[in-house]
Amino acid sequence: MGETATGMRFDTKLIHGGTAPGPYGATKTPIIQSSAFAYDTAEELEDLFKGRAIGQVYTRIGNPTLEALEKRLAAVEDGIAAIVTASGMAAITTAVMAIVRSGDEILSSASLFGGTYSLFRDTLANYGITTRFVDPTDLDALAAAVNDATRLIFVETIGNPKMDVPDIAAFAAIAQKSGVPLMVDATVSTPYLARVKELGADIVVHSTSKFINGTANSIGGAIIDSGSFDWNSAKFPHFEPFYRKYRNFAFTARTRKLIHKDFGACAAPLNAFLVGEGLETLALRMERHCANALKLAGFLAAHEKVAWVNYPGLPDSPFFEVANRQFQGRFGGVLTLGLADKPSAFRLINGLKLAKNLANIGDTKTLVIHPASTICADYSLEVKALMGVSEELVRVSVGIEDARDIVADFARALDNL
Amino acid sequence: MNLTVNGKPASIAADDAISVSNLLETLQVAQREYVTVELNGDILDRDGFDAATVRDGDTVEFLYFMGGGSL
Repeated sequence: MGETATGMRFDTKLIHGGTAPGPYGATKTPIIQSSAFAYDTAEELEDLFKGRAIGQVYTRIGNPTLEALEKRLAAVEDGIAAIVTASGMAAITTAVMAIVRSGDEILSSASLFGGTYSLFRDTLANYGITTRFVDPTDLDALAAAVNDATRLIFVETIGNPKMDVPDIAAFAAIAQKSGVPLMVDATVSTPYLARVKELGADIVVHSTSKFINGTANSIGGAIIDSGSFDWNSAKFPHFEPFYRKYRNFAFTARTRKLIHKDFGACAAPLNAFLVGEGLETLALRMERHCANALKLAGFLAAHEKVAWVNYPGLPDSPFFEVANRQFQGRFGGVLTLGLADKPSAFRLINGLKLAKNLANIGDTKTLVIHPASTICADYSLEVKALMGVSEELVRVSVGIEDARDIVADFARALDNL
Repeated sequence: MNLTVNGKPASIAADDAISVSNLLETLQVAQREYVTVELNGDILDRDGFDAATVRDGDTVEFLYFMGGGSL
């Protein structure tokens, strides 16, 4: 983490944290669009491969533009190091595979992004890694589900699309007591709502494609190491050589030197540059996303054609109290609403003029989707129920347009149902 | 005093002993917040750089996890 981050407030850190002066006085780290990096002598390259020197070798392993973003994200999340990846799913896959081995178990919140659910339930199961899913609001069930094979606890800060808000500090306490790391996907809350390291997250993952990039122009992911977990543990013998050499950097070292290098899900320099551009305005945009979402949620909750609204910022939400405490009075930019049935949900989506019907969140534009027929279409009714997805549900990622125009768009579409 | 640093002979302007922290500064070792220091084959604790002493004839390795290659 750059020394410049020390003592800065969060909004300042988004702009200056972890940054270093660029060549020619540039205030931006250039896009170093080079696959590999040349050295004058064979000895220099040998030293780099031995870890005796620091420098760039090959963009799959590292690149100055990627490194610049990694230092900034580490600074923003108060981590000790970060790795940027090709996508949010690449970040989760890479970070999880760095920790668990065949025969190990993951204990995960059942309220997950569909891609993560598929990774845990189907893909990792094919490699001998079992995931046990628990209701993230049932902490007793979570504690009871820990067993001798558990090697990781995984949770999202705001369940997508279930919109439930688990108590991250309580998750952290159970993970700590169990001697396993807590990995937190903070994509929906973003670092603006909470630095989850403070709540006890050992590893933080993000899909930077969403709010951090903010304008939906590049796919990316990030893994941030809090440096808090003690990898010198009998549960993690595969970390022993990394702990011995790199101590509290053991997770980042193992991830970088093995899993990230071997799986190869590296970010593109151009995408890393664009994510860095978005990071600078994250606070401003999130303030508006949160304010607009609260206004839209209030409007929808009072509308006669809307059966229910799920937004943690509504005072009657079962998650209001924990979200209010955890996110200090801010509740994010995503909400879900229920209509009478699936045809009504489709008519609402088809009737919206401003909001775009697409599979994404965290854009400046307001976005909607019918999850049951799209991003969650492959799942059984039982699994959909677990994920909080029903046929009448529409997910809204509330943009940063003028709130009056967003509300007017929904009002018109609802009137025409 | 004379040391072997990352496999190469190095001459340091110091009498007979220097702390690892001072050595990192003297040699302008890059990215000191990440570097691992191995003194005569032993990995040093990161918070022990001030206390650890390097003497004439010692072998020191500065290692990074960010580059390529194996462990």
